[in-house]
Amino acid sequence: MPRVIDGRELQPPEPLELALMALDTLPEDEELVMLLYCHPNPLFDILRRNGYVWTEAVQDDGTHEIRIRKA
Amino acid sequence: MHPDLSFEQAPPISVPYRFFLTAPWFGVAAGLLLVWFGEVAVMSRWTSATLALTHLLAVGFMLQAMTGAVLQFVPVAAGGNVSRPTLVANVVHPGLVLAALLLVAGFLSSNAILFRFAGTLFLLVVGLFVAVVGTALLRTPARGATIMSLRLALVGLAVTVLLGATLVEAIAVRKPWPLVEFANVHAAWGLGGWALLLLAGVSYYVVPMFQLTPAYPVRFARLLAPTLLVVLLVWSLQVGGSSPPWQRFVWLAGLTLAAVFAVTTLWLQHRRRRRVSDPTMLFFRGAMLCLLGVLISAVVMTIFPSLADEPRSAYWLGVLALPGVFVSAINGMLYKIVPFLNWLHLQRAMGLGMLPPNMKEMIPERAVTVQMRLHFIALGLLLAAAIWPELVRVAGGVLAVSCGLLGWNLIGAVRFFRAFRDRIRAGEPNLAP
Repeated sequence: MPRVIDGRELQPPEPLELALMALDTLPEDEELVMLLYCHPNPLFDILRRNGYVWTEAVQDDGTHEIRIRKA
Repeated sequence: MHPDLSFEQAPPISVPYRFFLTAPWFGVAAGLLLVWFGEVAVMSRWTSATLALTHLLAVGFMLQAMTGAVLQFVPVAAGGNVSRPTLVANVVHPGLVLAALLLVAGFLSSNAILFRFAGTLFLLVVGLFVAVVGTALLRTPARGATIMSLRLALVGLAVTVLLGATLVEAIAVRKPWPLVEFANVHAAWGLGGWALLLLAGVSYYVVPMFQLTPAYPVRFARLLAPTLLVVLLVWSLQVGGSSPPWQRFVWLAGLTLAAVFAVTTLWLQHRRRRRVSDPTMLFFRGAMLCLLGVLISAVVMTIFPSLADEPRSAYWLGVLALPGVFVSAINGMLYKIVPFLNWLHLQRAMGLGMLPPNMKEMIPERAVTVQMRLHFIALGLLLAAAIWPELVRVAGGVLAVSCGLLGWNLIGAVRFFRAFRDRIRAGEPNLAP
């Protein structure tokens, strides 16, 4: 069961803070799912530097669903 | 859809911060000038005190803050690669400070040499800034309303400075040029072409991002800048020395466009997802209400021409526009941008396993709230001084204290950043603040 962080009602950098805290304890075979209303380049910069991979899908209501796991 | 940000091309933190830290002290100077000169600053837009006050706010406070914001914003939000940002800031920042001081000194002393030095320095320094940032904006592959607003805002800045340099030259050598019409066009390009378009372009990003509102309507965002440009071009026809009566409707058209931006922003704030009101949101709301107030005042003055003929009406409009709209909006933006930049730069230095302190620890909310209240008290007193000029010295004093507190709060944020960064560099194992 993936962990889900809904950052759509949160001001930056709170979604980023929650993501970093979650990634710190994320098991190797689990996914972190983030829901945001933007394309979070600062998060992607961090993921890229620290060996994570992700997929991004945009829903009809503008929600960006980002699925992150260890590379 | 919300726009994208990328911090890979972000300049060093010192690039925008030197401008942000300088701006408030010009606001302090403006307040102190009002305390010194008193009622004469209210009576007419053409007194040396009023011209000095206007430019302390427009060139001192606003241009400093906006220049710093552009150097941060263009690489991060517009994908524009600003060449050698530290070198550019090393030249532009002291250049603008000196030019602003020379210009204000010129107004206060009517010294032609000061005017000519100021005009030349503005042309050189702003010319460099426009060239470097303009190149970045032309080369960026990014498209959209923000890019267009930023490009046209830069055109607005260039035109404003060219007209301003022409004006100071005309004053310095006492040329018989149509100074009133030139000044009207210069003010319109400065406040509408540069400041408003920059505020709008940046707002398309930061209002949805930090205030959790829906995005600005796409068609409105795309049409505002080019439509305002057309209005400014028609308004500029009066530089020939003739301002026919229909130009009043051009003025109202420009103010109506500005008011549409204000109403749109207020409507988006009303529809925000999170109902908590923080000082940034309140500063912005105040700014937009003042922008609406400018149009309402202009309409009233059109219906009652005797009000328009009253010399203090120009002071009233100037207070709404400068401290009301732009100083308010800049206050609000700085209280979000500075802690956010602190947080991002510290996080990059720390790596994945640790978190920087909460943004609210960088500038205590209580300090922000106190300064915000002082700002709006100052604004109220400044407006009241249009009716009771004897209030203007108190208004100036409160404005000076408010801007000084803003400066102090920002210095606190920078000190917080430096102290934490030094602890990171020292490799401290426990980084709890």
